[in-house]
Amino acid sequence: MTLLLQRTTVALLLAGLFLFSAGPALAEGGKVVLVITADASDYVLAAGGTIAKMLDDGATGYLVRVTNDDKDSWELTAEETARRTREESEKAAKILGFKEVESLGYRAGELGGVSPTELRDRILFYVRLYKPSVMFIPNPYAEYVEVLDRFYVGQAAEDARRAASLSNYQPPFAVVGLETHVTPELYYYAQPFDPRRREAESTATFVPQPKVVDIASTFAKKLQAAQALKTINHSMAMRIKHRLESTGRHLPLLDDIDETSVSELVEINVRKLGAIAAKDTDHTQAEELHYAGVEYQIPTKYLQ
Amino acid sequence: MKPLLAILVMMLGMLPAMAELPVVDIPPGDTKTFLVIHPHHDDHSWASGQAGLITKLVDAGWTGYYVRVSNDEKDGPHGYPHDDMVNLFEAREATENLGIKDVISLNWRNDYMDPTPHNEIRAQLILLIRKYRPDLVTSYHPWGHYDRNPDHRKVSKAVGEAVWLAGFANVHPEHRKLGLKPHRVPYKFYTQRFDYGKGYEPNVVVELGESNIRRKARSFWVHRNVRLNGSTGRRMRQLLKDQGLAIPELEGLTDIEAHAWLQEWSMYSAARKVGGKHGIEYGEIYARLGEWHPWPGLTDYLESNAVEK
Repeated sequence: MTLLLQRTTVALLLAGLFLFSAGPALAEGGKVVLVITADASDYVLAAGGTIAKMLDDGATGYLVRVTNDDKDSWELTAEETARRTREESEKAAKILGFKEVESLGYRAGELGGVSPTELRDRILFYVRLYKPSVMFIPNPYAEYVEVLDRFYVGQAAEDARRAASLSNYQPPFAVVGLETHVTPELYYYAQPFDPRRREAESTATFVPQPKVVDIASTFAKKLQAAQALKTINHSMAMRIKHRLESTGRHLPLLDDIDETSVSELVEINVRKLGAIAAKDTDHTQAEELHYAGVEYQIPTKYLQ
Repeated sequence: MKPLLAILVMMLGMLPAMAELPVVDIPPGDTKTFLVIHPHHDDHSWASGQAGLITKLVDAGWTGYYVRVSNDEKDGPHGYPHDDMVNLFEAREATENLGIKDVISLNWRNDYMDPTPHNEIRAQLILLIRKYRPDLVTSYHPWGHYDRNPDHRKVSKAVGEAVWLAGFANVHPEHRKLGLKPHRVPYKFYTQRFDYGKGYEPNVVVELGESNIRRKARSFWVHRNVRLNGSTGRRMRQLLKDQGLAIPELEGLTDIEAHAWLQEWSMYSAARKVGGKHGIEYGEIYARLGEWHPWPGLTDYLESNAVEK
């Protein structure tokens, strides 16, 4: 039975290889990009430029935002924070070129108490619904990311991608027409917290490898999308100002916090994130990802 | 084999020496507080514990609190509830020796923490963070690899999230009723067994002096319930005697005292090994997360442009 499952999986993966890696004929135009994010800002800051490139080239994009971001604000109620951030995250997604945004509405910072299976199956639904050729998920192996929601969502999304290809997961979905689906390409994203993020993994087989993507052509969109997240950005600016003031310091830029000063702070942040990723490359603005394409997911013996 | 050996030797020669880590500066802290959060009574004072850092902070005027998350019922020869009680008493003695002001014991069941809700432990830590408003929290490394102790993994994850979430007013808004305001912890010092594979990236070393090590070594064996027993002291001396060896310092000591002396020696030895790798006599190494860690794209900018008022 296990062998049969393995063979079925390999067959599905090979089918994916031929369907989605047929070269320039399909290009990005035939692609569906499914992005899973724990919160409104993470995917924009870590992978917004790469995603915008794909969408610019004709791919269709869907965003699944798992939490409602109700905690990340300054002097706003959780309800008002969630409402504003929902609107702003949809605006940011439109700027990047997404077709639709689905917000699952889990409370931010509370995913540690949510069943991993429940979370996986919520995401699995969208994998079978949209049948993506590319998925972007938070990298659950990235270290030093204090926002553990990203870890929980990354784990669930990684599991969902695999489970979506196997018919014995969520049989009722098949009854309502959601058939199994293999997603051939997978990107793991994370902001540059992990000091070892550029180290190659131990083996290329089955393991995603570091990949730096030039985002100069879509940097402006990424910046604009990041700036659209006004509630989160204002919260960041206030937190920094508060910390500085409580330690007898100040930042001239934040002496008067308004839309202009916050936008400038966001631009400094986004530019620097791009420069960190572009370090030791020929790019000026880049993003660091971990990439698992079809070639990483099929054992060499089956490719020969 | 010989060419292979030659290549191996050549490659070993090419390996870079372990880079010396920067020595961290401990600022004076008459108004500063710190929290040490650990699952167990004795996690602060073993070779990879933070007792040296604790004494440095206390010497610099900081006020420290020790949060023991479990009840330590499994640790010791007496069974529970006797071990719970003894271990708590000894934790108080050991941390008092380091200068810690108080021990807060959360009493979750030792080694049965998997079913303990993560969010519940985290909620208790957020409450304590808002109460004590620490400038620094130290704990096990939330991203450490290969730590086989389930309590270490559970508690460090809760700490890693609590230090972040405590800063958001909409997290446990009920705390406002007690006058407890949000507080984001600016500095985190995480530690783990530094020989446990990847996943632990120390980036600073804390320089310790004789006085720091002396207190650390004492706090190690003050956990007598789990650290000291006469039979080990007796066995060690017998082993030495069988090989025609003797340690003069052990002469005239009881078996228990001999074991305490050996335990102290092991603490000096461990700290000396760490120090030797980083150009100092004694040290402890940490992964320090600084005040701007949540915003890696702004760290350089803030460090360069924030000015004194």
